[in-house]
Amino acid sequence: MPEPLIVKEPTVYRPPAGCFDEVFGPGGVPHEHARPLVAELARMGPEQLAAAGRRRDAIFMQQGITFDATGEDGPVKDRPFPLDLVPRIMPGAEWTQIKRGLAQRIRALNHFVDDVYHGREIVHAGIVPWNLIVSRSHFARAVHGIRPPGGVYTHVAGCDLVRDSDGSWKVLEDNVRTPSGISYVLENRVAMTRLVPSLFQSYRVRPVDHYPQLLLAALRAVAPSTDEEATVVVWTPGPMNSAYFEHAFLARQMGVELVEASDLVVRDDVLYMRTTSGLQRVHSVYRRLDDDYVDPLEFKPESLLGVPGLVRAYRAGTVAVANAFGTGVADDKAIYHYVPEMIRFYLGEEPILDNVKTYLLSDPAQLEYVLPRLDQLVVKPTSESGGKGVFIGPSTPAEELAALAEVLKAQPGKWIAQEVVKLSTVPTSGLDGTIAPRHVDLRPFAVFGETIKIVPGGLTRVAMREGSMIVNSSQGGGSKDTWVLEDGVDTDRAEPDHATPQVLPSLPDLQYGGWSDQQQQQQQAYTHVVEEEA
Amino acid sequence: MLARIAHELFWLGRNIVRAEHTARMLDGVFQADLQGRPDDPNGVMLSWGSILAIMGGVPEGGEPIRPRRDDVLAALTLDPENPASVIACTARAREGARTVRDVLSAEMWEAINTTNLTLLEGDLSARLRTGPYSVYQYVKERSALFWGLTSRTMLRDDASAFLRAGGRLESADMVLRMLRVALPPGRVDGDGIDDAAAVRDGQALALLQAVGGFQAFRRAVQAPPDALPVGRFLLYEQNYPDSVAASVHYALDVLQKADTNPRTSEPILRLSRLGADLEFRARTDDGLAGDLSNVCASVQRELALVDGDIALRYFAGAGTTAGAVHA
Repeated sequence: MPEPLIVKEPTVYRPPAGCFDEVFGPGGVPHEHARPLVAELARMGPEQLAAAGRRRDAIFMQQGITFDATGEDGPVKDRPFPLDLVPRIMPGAEWTQIKRGLAQRIRALNHFVDDVYHGREIVHAGIVPWNLIVSRSHFARAVHGIRPPGGVYTHVAGCDLVRDSDGSWKVLEDNVRTPSGISYVLENRVAMTRLVPSLFQSYRVRPVDHYPQLLLAALRAVAPSTDEEATVVVWTPGPMNSAYFEHAFLARQMGVELVEASDLVVRDDVLYMRTTSGLQRVHSVYRRLDDDYVDPLEFKPESLLGVPGLVRAYRAGTVAVANAFGTGVADDKAIYHYVPEMIRFYLGEEPILDNVKTYLLSDPAQLEYVLPRLDQLVVKPTSESGGKGVFIGPSTPAEELAALAEVLKAQPGKWIAQEVVKLSTVPTSGLDGTIAPRHVDLRPFAVFGETIKIVPGGLTRVAMREGSMIVNSSQGGGSKDTWVLEDGVDTDRAEPDHATPQVLPSLPDLQYGGWSDQQQQQQQAYTHVVEEEA
Repeated sequence: MLARIAHELFWLGRNIVRAEHTARMLDGVFQADLQGRPDDPNGVMLSWGSILAIMGGVPEGGEPIRPRRDDVLAALTLDPENPASVIACTARAREGARTVRDVLSAEMWEAINTTNLTLLEGDLSARLRTGPYSVYQYVKERSALFWGLTSRTMLRDDASAFLRAGGRLESADMVLRMLRVALPPGRVDGDGIDDAAAVRDGQALALLQAVGGFQAFRRAVQAPPDALPVGRFLLYEQNYPDSVAASVHYALDVLQKADTNPRTSEPILRLSRLGADLEFRARTDDGLAGDLSNVCASVQRELALVDGDIALRYFAGAGTTAGAVHA
């Protein structure tokens, strides 16, 4: 067992007070499941980690896994995607609990979307006010009464999870429009197996690379039934989009076309794509742009990214769209507040994962409670994502908070306030390979086709600056490979029983060609003779 | 051209391709092996035992074996004593190339010689321990460099025909070996459930990734990467350069041009029949994965006969005794 850090190097690794550290317990003793990792990191030392970091940057640049960010000196283009080489590890049992909680939540959100555009039972039951729902910017009147195949709306979901100071998991946000980041989960894993294979030595890590298959299977499962194999496409707003890398990645991994609006056309309520051999029917679309832009006839008329008539085709049931139009209403931060109630209402279950304590400012009493405490809370606009427009009370100047208070009084419906969560910390390596605690969150990715499937782990985002809790990669955050462990630590690298091959066929021996052997023998014999003669 | 030179070029092609396939396979299994079982049975891996079987390290009768990762990696990568290791293949290629330096372009020779020198440097064994990926990546890149230079700088004469024919026939042989081990015949247990099927499906995916054909498969085939579609793809798909059918056709094509009287050539007639047979099966055979493994076995037998024919017709019989035909 590695020596407790507090004894060996008391000043080196100090998680911030009041935060949960996922590797070291109080006093610097590593948790049971993290011990092999700590030992291996100690064996590698900062030099090896730093060297692996330089190889990582070179590889990511070569493979074009880059993105644009805003650094301290303004915008930076084409930075290698910041993967931290210390993985975040999670015991299998803990993951099982998270997985159940997420599946429960996503099922409830799906019920909610269906309900909003059909019976509105949750409104009639007096749980969610109707005027709150219709005032959400992603509420889509155009899809009222449409029920997609299988009744699935939230095909792809990514909920942001955080760990509070007591180590409990909480949901911070639900992303059921177009959550991004899964490509980094897959690329990170590949990079880790190449750069630091020795860290895997004592663990059995659950793979993540089957995600594209899950997604493709789900997209096929929801496609309108046809005689031939359903044609699936990924629809991107174009190469200028910041997530274009991911769109291309998913299309490539699934082996489907990556289309833009100009490739698509609707004829007689059927969606087609333009190919070199004429129009080809499209059955299922994984779209990576918001409702507002998809169809100028139904949503924003000035959108140039849209396909006229798409919503009509969707209504006619000739094409499946993931995620379904109108799903964004469940993604709204004011609706988030009601998700635990939804779970009780639709599923009759108690929520497995809790919300972070949230205040709806449209309620005058809650607004009254929040206004004097702005310096202790986080205030978020309800319809934004990616950390845009978020005010973190403790680190915001007083005059800005005063201005914010005025805005909140004027437009209370567009904002929510949340208690500050002290994000958990995980050991993270700096440029020189030294290890220090940094704050993290987690975005697992779920695919809802016939059933809900969740890829083990997800994208761990990490704030690279000391003490910072801003994990968004657009604001200088990094990422970590997230390992969900098979139960039990495995130090024996012999093959486990399940991989024991069946009785193998006997193959012919490998051949090695004959001439050079003959020749060499002749030559050797000759040299021998010459030596003897000399 | 001289029979001896043709023979040397043929085996040069084979050794370079074998080194690359071995490297790809080890890399693919290494990566898959670092991780555990997924929630779905899709990711069951092509195992270290399978690799030994592919490379002929399993005794007759095919008892299940459970070798250790590091042993297999070391034995098949940098062990000069093991004739099937990557370094042994490269060393043989280098020795072969040296005897035909006048026929190769200077750049091709240099590419092989540098590869061999780099693999001999002690530095690589340290890299193999800390991160085998970079070693295998190097072997793949050097192989690509060699074949690229062959296309750009070597006269397309008889010499290049034998070099390429050797490369393609080796590729067909390696892919068949992998298919036969990764997708053995289904075994139905007492309760009537084919429990081997799930394992086969997982190994099919690992196999695709190990040969580097995953994305090509995705674009060419609509079906999920399960045993049957992957097997058919690697066996029959004319448009995928490493499929058995594509390799057979390519080898046939170059030998036809090199032979002054192809219509009397047994290897050419045999390859031609095999190519037609593969195409016929591709269009008619919709059978089960179990049948596919029989096809693989018979194609491999046929290719062994082609090897014998080639040696008899072009190499004055050299090499015919080295590989006994049994399968």
